[in-house]
Amino acid sequence: MSLVCERSCDLNAQLDSQGRLTAVPEVQVVKFPCSGMIQPLMVEAAFKAGATGVIITGCQLGDCYYREGNRMIRERLLGGRPPGLKKTVDRRRVIGLWLSRPQASRFISEAKEFLAVVTELGPVAPEPAKPTPAPKPAPQPKSEAKSEPENNKAPAGEAKSSKATAPADPGPEPAAQPKSETKDEPKTESKPEAKEEGKPES
Amino acid sequence: MYTEPINNLNLKLEAWTNVITTSKYNPFYYHGALPQFYLWVLYLSGLLLFAYYIPTIDNAYSSEKLINAWTSVNYITNTIPFGAVFRGIHRYAGDAMVVTILLHMLRVWITDRYRQYRIVQWLSGVVLLVMVLFIGQTGYYLVWDERSLILTRMTCSALDAIPLVGTGLKTWFLNGTELTNYTLANFLFIHIGLSFALLFGLWIHYVRMTRPVLTPPPVINYILMAAILLVVAWFPIESGKMADLTSQPNTFEVDWFFLFPYAMLTSMQPGIFWLTMLAGVVLLCVVPYFVRTKEVEPAEVVLKNCTGCSLCAKDCPYQAIEMVPAPAESRFKLLATVKPYRCSGCGVCVGACAFDAIDLPNMPDADVTAQIKALLQS
Ligand code: HEM
Ligand code: SF4
Ligand code: SF4
Repeated sequence: MSLVCERSCDLNAQLDSQGRLTAVPEVQVVKFPCSGMIQPLMVEAAFKAGATGVIITGCQLGDCYYREGNRMIRERLLGGRPPGLKKTVDRRRVIGLWLSRPQASRFISEAKEFLAVVTELGPVAPEPAKPTPAPKPAPQPKSEAKSEPENNKAPAGEAKSSKATAPADPGPEPAAQPKSETKDEPKTESKPEAKEEGKPES
Repeated sequence: MYTEPINNLNLKLEAWTNVITTSKYNPFYYHGALPQFYLWVLYLSGLLLFAYYIPTIDNAYSSEKLINAWTSVNYITNTIPFGAVFRGIHRYAGDAMVVTILLHMLRVWITDRYRQYRIVQWLSGVVLLVMVLFIGQTGYYLVWDERSLILTRMTCSALDAIPLVGTGLKTWFLNGTELTNYTLANFLFIHIGLSFALLFGLWIHYVRMTRPVLTPPPVINYILMAAILLVVAWFPIESGKMADLTSQPNTFEVDWFFLFPYAMLTSMQPGIFWLTMLAGVVLLCVVPYFVRTKEVEPAEVVLKNCTGCSLCAKDCPYQAIEMVPAPAESRFKLLATVKPYRCSGCGVCVGACAFDAIDLPNMPDADVTAQIKALLQS
């Protein structure tokens, strides 16, 4: 499932009649005027309805066609701005892609990769929480792919990268996944990204 | 949108820049902050110049020494420590401000961010541009070298050519009927007074934007400053000869950023010149109306759901939501209201509301959720 801002990467040419990505038919696309409109509730609803992963797509960070929409949803998902995402949502299954209009092909390659990651995640046994000392103070549930090539970290369902796991959130409460899989890994990264920026500054 | 093809190129360029700078340091994303930075630089360097500037045109020697605007500028340049540097900074930061304003304008135009709910920003921007250009010109009068004299005379005859108000404007400009010491005092006042009036213009420019991007990461400012210092070192400023009211100098160097109107005046009838200028400004003002697109559908509050939590008002990037006291029968203190003429229809408020209390009329969030479910079930 992918929630996509109409003004970020232009997918109109890539969709079939039912709103699936032609290149990766597993990916369903819902369009928004701006990624800032996406409610964390909608992400939760998608999981409840059986999605195995959610891709949020907005303009390049710093370049929302309106103003600040991508930053808003990013901060909401990261937990820095209310309303946030329920803790029970497996953070590895949510990624943000910040792409400008001409970057549709990049969207597709990222979507394929992400699909591989969530498929691999599948219904798996709970992994132990990794107490990686977080370099950042706040929970960092999700990273973003920017326009840099980032293939090296591709199989990164298991957040192995530096800034990934940030269990700074109160409890590594066992996160009951709404869908088949359950993880206790509190906050892991779906896609640790080379170019991950620091916490959003105010 | 007719700028779409250019924009696609532009976005590619910006994506490339992102590879090098990351989006946090991408100067394109701070297009508005660049002229703002140069404005601060101008205020500070101008303060120093102001401290030692003497706005008179006297050509007579008082005791041994001649004291007037030109000699005071010379004094600043040659005697005050780093005076020449500050003068150079002030001159070139002005030029840089014009360049960055034009780039800023170009970018909002190319990326289609200048119409509809942004009209106030665009129109106030046009006013700011005209003001900045005029302030820059008055700066060139202040030096009181031969060029200043030519410019002053040209301005007078151009003003004279305007029907009805022309003579009055000329009297205002000269602060009297002829060039006197009071004239330069007036120039100084116009220069500084209008510079501060810019702040008011900028307030209008920003008033509809929540959190305008004014403070890029410091490195960007350092680079902007370094660029100015390089130019200052490379092209030190030289004053021309002191103005002499009895002489008739007739050639001058043109600073194309500010003095292009005078270049035009040398080859145009004043009447045509004023019409061209007017047409230019009017054209800029109507550019946003060339494109007809469907109207924005402003967000709507679902009165019975709103808890008055103010999250939407905080996050709305266009200052379009006002919290008003809730009606008496409500359980809550406040109620969100949307100012439709400010709303961009972006939906950030929808994302902010945890109570489904605010909707875009063409896309209620209940429908979105239903759509998500339906798609997943299919
Ligand atoms: C004194 C010179 C100017 C300064 C310092 C300035 C500064 C700024 C700043 C800081 C922003 C906010 C950008 C953001 O937060 O995203 C902005 C937005 C804007 N400016 Fe200017 N500006 C100037 C002149 C102009 C001119 C000459 C125009 C066009 C005629 C213009 C048109 C706009 C428009 C349309 C926006 C809205 C863009 C958006 O909402 O994304 N500005 N300006
Ligand atoms: S976020 Fe929702 S509930 Fe809160 S004030 Fe806005 S409309 Fe009302
Ligand atoms: S849609 Fe909502 S957040 Fe966006 S400008 Fe309108 S009121 Fe503000």
